Amino acid sequence: MYTIDHLSHTADIRLLLRADSREELFRAGFEAMNEIIKPGACRMPCPCIVTQTIEIASVDDTTLLIDFLSDVLTLAHEHKAVFCELNFLEMNANKLKASIGGRPANGFEEDIKAVTYHEANVRQNTDGKWETFLIFDI
Amino acid sequence: MSVNKDQLTKLQEYLWELPKETRPGMRVPARVYALEELLDAILNDRSLEQLANVATLPGIVKASMVMPDVHEGYGFPIGGVAATRYPDGVISPGGIGYDINCGVRLLVSSLTYGQVKKRMEELSKEMYRQVPSGMGKGGFVKLSARNMDKVLSDGAAWAVEEGYGTPRDLEYTESHGCLPGADPNKVSDQAKKRGRDQLGTIGSGNHFVEVGRVGKIFDEEAADAYGLRPDQITILIHTGSRGLGHQVATDYLRIMMGAMPKYGIELPDRELACVPLSSPEGQDYFKAMCAAANFAWCNRQVITWECRKAWENVFGKSGGELGLLYDVAHNIAKIEEHLVDGEKMKVIVHRKGATRAFGPHYGELPEAYRPIGQPVLIPGSMGTASYVLAGTDESMASSFGSTCHGAGRRLSRRGAKKQVDAPKLLRELKDQGIYVQAGSHRGVAEEAPVAYKDVDLVVETVHQAGIAKRVAKLRPLGVVKG
Repeated sequence: MYTIDHLSHTADIRLLLRADSREELFRAGFEAMNEIIKPGACRMPCPCIVTQTIEIASVDDTTLLIDFLSDVLTLAHEHKAVFCELNFLEMNANKLKASIGGRPANGFEEDIKAVTYHEANVRQNTDGKWETFLIFDI
Repeated sequence: MSVNKDQLTKLQEYLWELPKETRPGMRVPARVYALEELLDAILNDRSLEQLANVATLPGIVKASMVMPDVHEGYGFPIGGVAATRYPDGVISPGGIGYDINCGVRLLVSSLTYGQVKKRMEELSKEMYRQVPSGMGKGGFVKLSARNMDKVLSDGAAWAVEEGYGTPRDLEYTESHGCLPGADPNKVSDQAKKRGRDQLGTIGSGNHFVEVGRVGKIFDEEAADAYGLRPDQITILIHTGSRGLGHQVATDYLRIMMGAMPKYGIELPDRELACVPLSSPEGQDYFKAMCAAANFAWCNRQVITWECRKAWENVFGKSGGELGLLYDVAHNIAKIEEHLVDGEKMKVIVHRKGATRAFGPHYGELPEAYRPIGQPVLIPGSMGTASYVLAGTDESMASSFGSTCHGAGRRLSRRGAKKQVDAPKLLRELKDQGIYVQAGSHRGVAEEAPVAYKDVDLVVETVHQAGIAKRVAKLRPLGVVKG
């Protein structure tokens, strides 16, 4: 389970992600990004003809999340595809391996220039929920 | 930490200071150029908190500064200027932004509004056909690996050699359209792949091509030197290094994040990630940033060729030439000499949403411009106005030769979409004689004039503060955007 809330930002897109687990939090970021670059595309069945594997090591959860989403964004631009499927093959606080699957996008609706580290802080709150802010530069 | 008005000291009518004692870690004060009524709006978002964070950068000198078009960004505020000591002060990709060398170029025609008025709609449509805009729209140039490296090394000169411009165009471009420090080997394959088909494209967001007319002239001598006259038709191009630049910034932020502990750097915001310029990581980033800047200048040169083609398709040979008035970056870092505490010092000037505004007698400028100062191009928003300003001695003395870069956002994109009925706005603009060719209604709503500050007030501030002087005001007639 996860939630994605849109918050105010003068120029860019600022979100608050909340989830039951680290993995779900990453999934929330993945879904939120897809919904920005190609709204609705991942609500349709995905004949995933483009598949990629992402492997990252980072210093902590926060950096791992931003680096993961940045890699997905780079691959989306490189393959001109939207990646809707996500399977985590390995994950801990500073390392992940995931496979993603997608299809050609025929153009994006929004140009996300980057997934920023600004305000990002992956943490477990007092209720045990995982949360972070996430700001996309558009 | 939030900043309120009581914490600011009024240094001059248009200049405010947040003392360095305001928060722990600030190494220099933070300065804000703003009329009081603009300052009230600036205090509504987190711009000044971000500016205070910038003041903590290792090696920063004099002050972190923001221009009156400032708004909150991520890490650095948009509209920010920071200079660090060369060579051991830091370089921060966040102080340049993801769109490396986003900038503006102004073309001038020999035709007047009266001569083109009846064909404005046709011209706007032809511009839209010739200049690819919007997300995922590739251009007609598909760069081989060899040519990509040449673009990254040579910048706009590559386009001129390929027939997409003239040597005169290079003379009238900041740094002649090429930073010599570029090294294509420091740009990742992924960045190169993203840029392969993006030359000659404007992209989306706030990027555009705008046909305008010269409205009011404020300074006859400067306007004359720049070749501007009343009612003249102009074309303004606003874009940058596209996906290639975004990827360079992303790649090096990650590298710097890992390297910072090695240099003992701790910052209040990860997005300010930085390393000493003299470090291997700093040198690599600087070389890659220069390469991306060169890509951006080449991009605006190819777009110039597309605009000239559209112009000729509509007006034929009788339309005359579209000459380049100037091209200037507003997201870049450069090594320059400035006065700091009365002493000449070599510094790394970061301009993120701030325009270089060098004063008179700067040797790089075309001869005709040297007595006046460097042209500064300030795009407004659809339906308002853009400005041509000139750099001044005061900007050299006070703001590291920098000034504002636009109107500055006031409303969030979501806020603008809630307020603006795009089809209605398009009709209203058309009634005013402004033809907008856009890829989507959403893009029109997000970039509506109501989303921006009053560009007249922004320009009034920098003019009164002396960090640029007004030369001419341009009125929009046709806008092409993604």
